[in-house]
Amino acid sequence: MTQATRTVDARGLSCPGPITELVKAYRNSKMGDIIEVLATDEGFKQDVQAWIRKTGNELIELKEENGEIRALIRIVKR
Amino acid sequence: MTAVKNVVIIGGGAGGAMLANRLPSDEFNVTLIDKEGYNYYLPWLLYVAFKGSRREMKRSLESILKPNVRLIKSTVTAINLSDKWIELINGKRINYDYVVIAAGADVDDSKINGLHDLMVRYGNYYTNEENALKVWRTLNSIKEGTLLIAVSDPKHRCPPSPMEGAFLAEEFIRSRGLSDKVKVVFATPYPRPYPAEPMNEVVEPIMRERGIEIVNFFTLDYVEPNKQVMRSLEGDELKYDAAIVVPPHVGARLKYYPEDVIDSDGFVLADKLTNRIKGFDDAFVIGDASAVPVAKTGVTAHLEASVVARILMGEDAKNSGRTNCPFDLGYGLGTFVIGDYYTPVVKYPPNKINHMMKMAFAAIYWDMIKYPELWDPIFDSFFDATNPSILKRIYG
Repeated sequence: MTQATRTVDARGLSCPGPITELVKAYRNSKMGDIIEVLATDEGFKQDVQAWIRKTGNELIELKEENGEIRALIRIVKR
Repeated sequence: MTAVKNVVIIGGGAGGAMLANRLPSDEFNVTLIDKEGYNYYLPWLLYVAFKGSRREMKRSLESILKPNVRLIKSTVTAINLSDKWIELINGKRINYDYVVIAAGADVDDSKINGLHDLMVRYGNYYTNEENALKVWRTLNSIKEGTLLIAVSDPKHRCPPSPMEGAFLAEEFIRSRGLSDKVKVVFATPYPRPYPAEPMNEVVEPIMRERGIEIVNFFTLDYVEPNKQVMRSLEGDELKYDAAIVVPPHVGARLKYYPEDVIDSDGFVLADKLTNRIKGFDDAFVIGDASAVPVAKTGVTAHLEASVVARILMGEDAKNSGRTNCPFDLGYGLGTFVIGDYYTPVVKYPPNKINHMMKMAFAAIYWDMIKYPELWDPIFDSFFDATNPSILKRIYG
């Protein structure tokens, strides 16, 4: 299993929303870092995909289990 | 009879002062330490910056703390959670039975190259009145070109405040008859102007209707002040003639033992339901100082202060994660960003009453801090009536 450089727990965060935690982790990241984001906010799945399209980073994994979303992202662009 | 407990509160902002005033004097010796000795109503910086308001923004802590609260005006430099002491800047150590960190957040413009120069030039509305007045002067001096309002970093106080700035700036520009000459641009690192999607559905159409240009996915990397250009991590650039930037925030600058109770930005890690600092039963963090995933707003500090007060009094109290952020949309319109840990943000419709409520709150703020027990019934009934699970059924 891919080991995350940092894990961001955004479960239960509806305002301002998990996307803010991902952007924060992106700001603090280095090339090659792997960011794991945990969220419960439904909109996050779409947001993370839109974000990947825009930033050009790599989505290693995106899955939903028991209402919990887990995204694993490798930072390759910044 | 149980022994009186020594509670030390670090910081006299909304959360710290309210907590101090909530603890009964026959059960607690309460000491509040604050570096300046003032309580600031920080939301008013918005109106200093965009309306030129000169209304007084601060009160002395002596005037709003109950007589039993001991006030120490000093800076805390270190806290040892294992040995239960706090060190002041003069080297003096204070022991406690319980400690509550309510030290707020600080702005750190050094994290982004060029940001400091830009903030010195155009001002900002996240630090103090002087800098907010500089924003007001910036607004008054722009006669043509691009006025850029940009969110530099997700960690900042008051999630609605960046868009509020853009709305009020547009209102100002229009009122001066400069709409044809000055373009208001709003840049954000998110996929949409307001990060929480349901609220965005309410406010983005208003932003578009007013002709404010929206730039999404702009994560500010650095500023070139001489060229008047901002560049993003995504590789885009934005030119401006004047720019107001929402700066990155960090936790209060004090030394923690053990060191692993804070995150990389200096915010204190804690349980989101009880505000207990990770690994400690007798230490809490409330408000902006915490790394708990909730909005950094006064209402969060207010509600967390009452939960921690009840826990200290022996109750089994828990936070709901409730937010209730007033959102000024300009032209006398307002909404609220209402949500909690269990219900996503509600699509609460804008109207003039909401805006009046924001203004009314500013008028009663210090009275609420001083006499929380008198205002509790009003706020409790408001929070009950506007419970997000109920509003969700009405507004979606």
